[in-house]
Amino acid sequence: MSALLRAELLKLRTTRTFVALAAVTLGLSLTVLVLRALLQADFSEDDVRSLFYFDFSGLFIALLGIMGMAGEWRHKTITSTILAAPDRLRLLTAKTLSYAVAGAVLSLVVTVTMMVVASVILSARDEATLPLADLADPLWRNLLVAALLGAFGVGIGGVVRDQVAAIVGVMLLTLVVEPTLSIVGAQEVARFGPLNGAPGGIIDPSGSDGDLLAPGVAVLVMLGWIGLAFGATAATLRRRDLV
Amino acid sequence: MAPVEIRDLTKRFGTVEAVKSLSFEVQAGRVTGFLGPNGAGKSTTLRALLGLVRPSSGAATFDGRSYEQLDRPSSHVGAVLEDAAFHPGRTGRNHLRVLAVTGGHPERRVDEVLSAVDLRQGADRPAKSYSMGMRQRLGIAAALLGDPQVLILDEPTNGLDPPGIAWMRGLVREQAARGRAVLISSHLLAEVAQSVDDVVIIAGGQLRARGPLDQVLGGDEGACTEVRAREADRLTSALQARGHRIERDGEMLLVLGVAPEQVGEIASEERLTLWHLAARARSLEAAFFELTAQRA
Repeated sequence: MSALLRAELLKLRTTRTFVALAAVTLGLSLTVLVLRALLQADFSEDDVRSLFYFDFSGLFIALLGIMGMAGEWRHKTITSTILAAPDRLRLLTAKTLSYAVAGAVLSLVVTVTMMVVASVILSARDEATLPLADLADPLWRNLLVAALLGAFGVGIGGVVRDQVAAIVGVMLLTLVVEPTLSIVGAQEVARFGPLNGAPGGIIDPSGSDGDLLAPGVAVLVMLGWIGLAFGATAATLRRRDLV
Repeated sequence: MAPVEIRDLTKRFGTVEAVKSLSFEVQAGRVTGFLGPNGAGKSTTLRALLGLVRPSSGAATFDGRSYEQLDRPSSHVGAVLEDAAFHPGRTGRNHLRVLAVTGGHPERRVDEVLSAVDLRQGADRPAKSYSMGMRQRLGIAAALLGDPQVLILDEPTNGLDPPGIAWMRGLVREQAARGRAVLISSHLLAEVAQSVDDVVIIAGGQLRARGPLDQVLGGDEGACTEVRAREADRLTSALQARGHRIERDGEMLLVLGVAPEQVGEIASEERLTLWHLAARARSLEAAFFELTAQRA
């Protein structure tokens, strides 16, 4: 398994897509953070804490997971991949784990950079920053969400297999469907969503007055979504003829 | 136990029977040509052998084990399939590095196989910039990565220029000389005829002929000898007296199922003067058309 995991991580590192999307993730996360840090008038402790949650690693690693799995069909590399690793279930497991690891690493880089930049700006504005011990909280939450969404992305890519359709579907779910459910008052449903709802529950320690799931429940819900996508992909991948 | 064995293999896609009770073996140290017209079931057979397609019945094994059961399969089997694809943005070297890590091969093998297929110069360019020939060489490099005992090559000369084809011919002969079993599927019959020891011919998913190339080219009777003698009638009588079948082709006698050496010895015993004595073989193309047309 460790060889497969290393191979999948090597695959990820040896295309420009990963570097490009990692740069976009960092750029977007920092842009939002800098704008807020510079433009907001006053900062409460909660405001400072919330600055560190604008890490876009989760969304982008989900997209990378989709590309990593659906791309095997798009580029017709699935044949050589399975020739090299004929145990399809192990292959899928390695891919899922590799994108979880990649998500956590990406989020680590992005969140730590955000913390440094935010601390510099807040110090320059004579605003209070979070003590070092308190920074661990947003860090592990961001890392966990990115890891879970990386794994979820692989499952979606495996179920849909059409890379463009999967990416468009995830973007619609993230930007339209889940927010719309919240707006129309279906928060009870929206908080179980795999892209905004459950991740929001993990990230927001306050639970936003019951609008979000408790972090522990949110993690379980995310694991459920991942299990569902993984199971559906495994079922089709195992019996599929590669002609 | 043969390095490669196809036993009673049948594969159905819905109502279409792509391969029907196919059986043949590939022996170590020999190059076996796997021939058949488009849609004959060659690719399906190779994919069933490589675990990419699930057989409806029968088995396709390497030393008695299915591809999935092989420990570190790339150390046992190297395969180049016709539609070998690479991530367009990944360099040839990185493609091989990924496969080396997956298969547990040392990184130095990447440079070794790149040298073996003469691709070191283009190794650090993205695969999307490769010519067809370079892609074919990269596929072969990937197949050689684990220094496997069995090589399966599906249309390996596609996209290769004449020097590339000659190189490929040398490669498969060298692999066989080192004791490897080589199964090569190709539609270039003249090329195959120069490279292979054995042939397997299929059509409509069914076996039409298999065996050493000479035997298959000789037709159902096996070897065939053409002979011209000063006293053709005496020679005919002598051969028929020994139970051999004769056909006439003008002045030439065709002795069916008998090698030239045997005909020469009979002529010598009868003190007959021979003007011409040679083995007659159908061309592979003629044999192919004959075998794939019958029972179609």
